[in-house]
Amino acid sequence: MNERDILAATIESLLFVAGEEGLTLKQLAALTVSTEGEVTQALEQLLVGYEERTTSGITLRQYGGVFQLVTKAEYAEDIKRLFENPPSKMMTQAALEVLAIIAYKQPVTRIEVDDVRGVKSERAIQTLASKGFIMEKGRLEASGRPILYATTSYFLDRFGLNSIEDLPPLLQETEDDEDTDLFLTKFQDILEAQEEGGNSV
Amino acid sequence: MSYNVKLEAFEGPLDLLLHLINRLEIDIYDIPMAELTNQYIEHLHAMRVLELDELSEYLVLAATLIEIKSKMLLPVHEGDVFDDEGQEFDMEEDPREELIARILEYKKYKEAAVQLKESADERAVHFTKPPTEVEAYGGVTPIDSGDELNVFDLIGAFQRMLQRRRLKAPMSASITNNEISVGDKMDEIMSQVERKGGTCDFEELFEEGDMSGLIITFLSILELMKRSDIIVEQHGNFNRLQIRMQLEEQAHE
Repeated sequence: MNERDILAATIESLLFVAGEEGLTLKQLAALTVSTEGEVTQALEQLLVGYEERTTSGITLRQYGGVFQLVTKAEYAEDIKRLFENPPSKMMTQAALEVLAIIAYKQPVTRIEVDDVRGVKSERAIQTLASKGFIMEKGRLEASGRPILYATTSYFLDRFGLNSIEDLPPLLQETEDDEDTDLFLTKFQDILEAQEEGGNSV
Repeated sequence: MSYNVKLEAFEGPLDLLLHLINRLEIDIYDIPMAELTNQYIEHLHAMRVLELDELSEYLVLAATLIEIKSKMLLPVHEGDVFDDEGQEFDMEEDPREELIARILEYKKYKEAAVQLKESADERAVHFTKPPTEVEAYGGVTPIDSGDELNVFDLIGAFQRMLQRRRLKAPMSASITNNEISVGDKMDEIMSQVERKGGTCDFEELFEEGDMSGLIITFLSILELMKRSDIIVEQHGNFNRLQIRMQLEEQAHE
């Protein structure tokens, strides 16, 4: 057993104990008295091992900035049989929209969220805060000093993100609209060809 | 309990507008205002059963639509394009511009919400476990001073405890009618903490009870904290929250 193997095994045991709280690269380096580079190498070694080994039901993931041991996706259905009730129900569309706005625009006030959606979002914000997905993050230095909201590391974990920078880029309006336009033009061409100067809009 | 009636589950006026634009296959940059306004108002009529406060938001947008529509009908007077300071108004500006910007902005986040949902679904197939209870192996972690706990840490701990309970749920359960008041529960918590020598695990307080019982316990803890009868603290990163009796502490000092 060489030193690299020992480091990987040490890290594996630490991650097992840490569970869902996980450990950051920095913590792992400090705990194993190694450099972050060495830890990164060991983590890669572990990951390759998990992914290649068919007898391993667990693997390594990085969510919310921490490394954690998780079960492999292909055994999800088997694991669910362990639960008496299916795990927590889906989020409402309203809550998802509010969460998306807060995630991309944070820190953001409730009014700004309302403005984007055109409806009041108070209830959804309360639900999201009580579920731990968002938190208050200071107040805006403006009249009324409204509360600013931001997402939590629990949000990152639950949505499989390592950091806020990992959010998929918002669809560029131009790109998106080019597609629609192309489609619409084509569609209209066909329509017009069929109807011969048909209906005017 | 309020009862929500949602027509095709629209998430607000902008969502309804977006739906109409998609359904009518309208070019978002060249909205036929008359057609869209008519369709929109037709939908509003069908939605009369909605809650009044929600309907008001739909009505605001209806007013905006009508305003834009009427602006577009007005002829542009070439002579009137100067304001008091003699500057030229930008009469070329499309009255629809602001509306288009709002719809596009909303559309952007609506789509982002779909993506978020997908990544949450992808994440949900990976299970993990709570941290190992090192205390059971005689482990003691040093007190992590300086880090203040806030109410979100408490809520987080409550959520984790609920998740843990879900896993521990018995295969069968009997239903009893057992009502406890917050006041009774507060006394119970205080004597429970006292029995444990003045400190106890946050989660130890939640070992029994159904959902409403757990909530009563949580409320009681909040009330006790408010009254400074107990304080909640956390020793080190992965440790459970500790409930400590405040009076006991002061007596020692």
